[in-house]
Amino acid sequence: MMPAARSSSVLNTRSLAAAGFVVLAAMPFWGNDYHVTVAVNLCVTLMMTLSLNLVVGYSGQFHLSHVAFFGTGAYVSAILAKLGLSPWLCLVGAVAATSVLAALIGGPVTRLKGLYLAVATLTFSLFVEVVVKQGGTITGGGYGIQDVPALHLGALKLSGKPYYALALVCLALTFLVLHNILASKFGREIIAVRDHPDAAEASGINPPLIRLVVLVTAAAFAAFGGWLHCFYHLNLNPELLNPQWTFVWFFMVLVGGIGDTLGVVLGTLLLSLLPEFLGFAMGQTIFGIGVLMILVTLFAPRGLGGLIEDLHQRSQAARHAK
Amino acid sequence: MVQVLLSGLQIGSIYGLMALSFYVIISATGILNFAQGEWMMIAGVLGLTLLDLGVAYPLAVVGSLAGATFLAVLSERLIITPLQRRNASQAIVLLALFGIMLVARYGTGIIHGRLEDPLPGPAGTHVFMLGPDVFLFSQSLVIYGSTIVIFGAVILFLHYTWLGRSLRVAAIDPLAASIVGVDLGKVRLAAFGLGGLIAAAVAWLYAPLYAVGYMTGAIPGIKGFIALFIGGLASPLGPLVGGLLLGLMEVSAARYLPSIYSEGIAFALLMLVLFVRPNGLVQGRGSK
Repeated sequence: MMPAARSSSVLNTRSLAAAGFVVLAAMPFWGNDYHVTVAVNLCVTLMMTLSLNLVVGYSGQFHLSHVAFFGTGAYVSAILAKLGLSPWLCLVGAVAATSVLAALIGGPVTRLKGLYLAVATLTFSLFVEVVVKQGGTITGGGYGIQDVPALHLGALKLSGKPYYALALVCLALTFLVLHNILASKFGREIIAVRDHPDAAEASGINPPLIRLVVLVTAAAFAAFGGWLHCFYHLNLNPELLNPQWTFVWFFMVLVGGIGDTLGVVLGTLLLSLLPEFLGFAMGQTIFGIGVLMILVTLFAPRGLGGLIEDLHQRSQAARHAK
Repeated sequence: MVQVLLSGLQIGSIYGLMALSFYVIISATGILNFAQGEWMMIAGVLGLTLLDLGVAYPLAVVGSLAGATFLAVLSERLIITPLQRRNASQAIVLLALFGIMLVARYGTGIIHGRLEDPLPGPAGTHVFMLGPDVFLFSQSLVIYGSTIVIFGAVILFLHYTWLGRSLRVAAIDPLAASIVGVDLGKVRLAAFGLGGLIAAAVAWLYAPLYAVGYMTGAIPGIKGFIALFIGGLASPLGPLVGGLLLGLMEVSAARYLPSIYSEGIAFALLMLVLFVRPNGLVQGRGSK
């Protein structure tokens, strides 16, 4: 799971990739409504996989409750907006409520290890799903919440392409904050706790506290993504909280290469856009993702990044052999 | 009150048997096989298909059990064995199992279609009135009886056969087991096969109560692993106690409280158990 050391040639491909992303990100501005919807959904998904990667990749905790934090963020936003709160302030409410929830569940959960951690967090996710589905008039039960008031910037109603611009800003913000966290002292502490918890504790780091802060941070960004989703679609469906999405996001992280930010972006792009290009219906998409999960875990467990690195090394070795 | 008890024991037996099918796999191999509910669903759909083709009832039962068990074993050989041989991390194995679950569920949806059909129970649909407000279906008697027989058979198998003992030794210490000549690959195969067979048998108990379609495995699959972790992994009594307790609590909550409680109680109960007593309610002899 260690991020591999990078040579300067890989760095160049990275700047090329960054340029490619800028071009890709600009494309929906010339597209139709469908393209914009796909692009906004993609921004939300990227926020989810980047924040999930902080927990499962860099912190090494196998949490299966990410979708519960996403759903909490989306539902709290919608409920507060329906009560008349400004949609911008809903962001504060959603992030605050979700962070508190994550801190409450994180206290006891981060003491569990391995399979028990996975089972406890999956159970928590199922619990949140049931609460929303059975929440009566507050959450709309199985029907969800309709007609959430739209987001306005001054007199401009944010929908369609202007909303996509907002989504790009949110995504960039998520990317920058998570990137800076990982580059900071705290980021090095996270990796120290993952790789050598005993040594980290001996040097004055508090591993349970670090794990808890990581979980709350990731949950806050999941809620941010939920808020962004809520005010684009303006309708919420309880299927949003299906725990299978956590597995799908985790799979996107794995396809890119666990703990590698650029890889996660590539994995998310690939798995989000492929079904759109193929024109798959929902059932077919999930079936296809299941097939890919089996193939990738069997044949490319280090993800596409690992696969490319292997091929790169093999071609390097061939060049040296000449 | 009596009716609540009877219904609770009925659904609790289903949960307990599903938990047992998880238990025989996880105790011998350390693997939480998410796909258990899907083997149950596939046995039901297969049984329905065979009956529709005009196959005699007992043959349809045997055919469905064999088919679902074969798929369970096949998934172990083709996917789990290579992963274990490579020493893949727990997260990777869980993701592969989740992939198997999605393929089994939505693959059945694509092949069989989205319709749900009733599966006839082995004892028909007779109703016995036991009192003014208390009645008992013939299917319930089949469920109680099968639960006793299956739990009894599995416990006898684990204690009195060479293969069963291998499973128990592998559960206690895989390394020591392999040193004394237990073939861990064979143990894993037997565990997945037995787990698949138990889950497949549940189809003929559970599906006649409702209907069977590609989504039928979802709820028993989830409730099965919840019941398992409530009861604990110390002995086969864990799944039984966990299943019955969960069934009784759900039915009582459904009878006396709003639906949010009966739907949510399983998850709330398991979280409580994991936080307070992570090894489950039933503790085994010499358990750590």
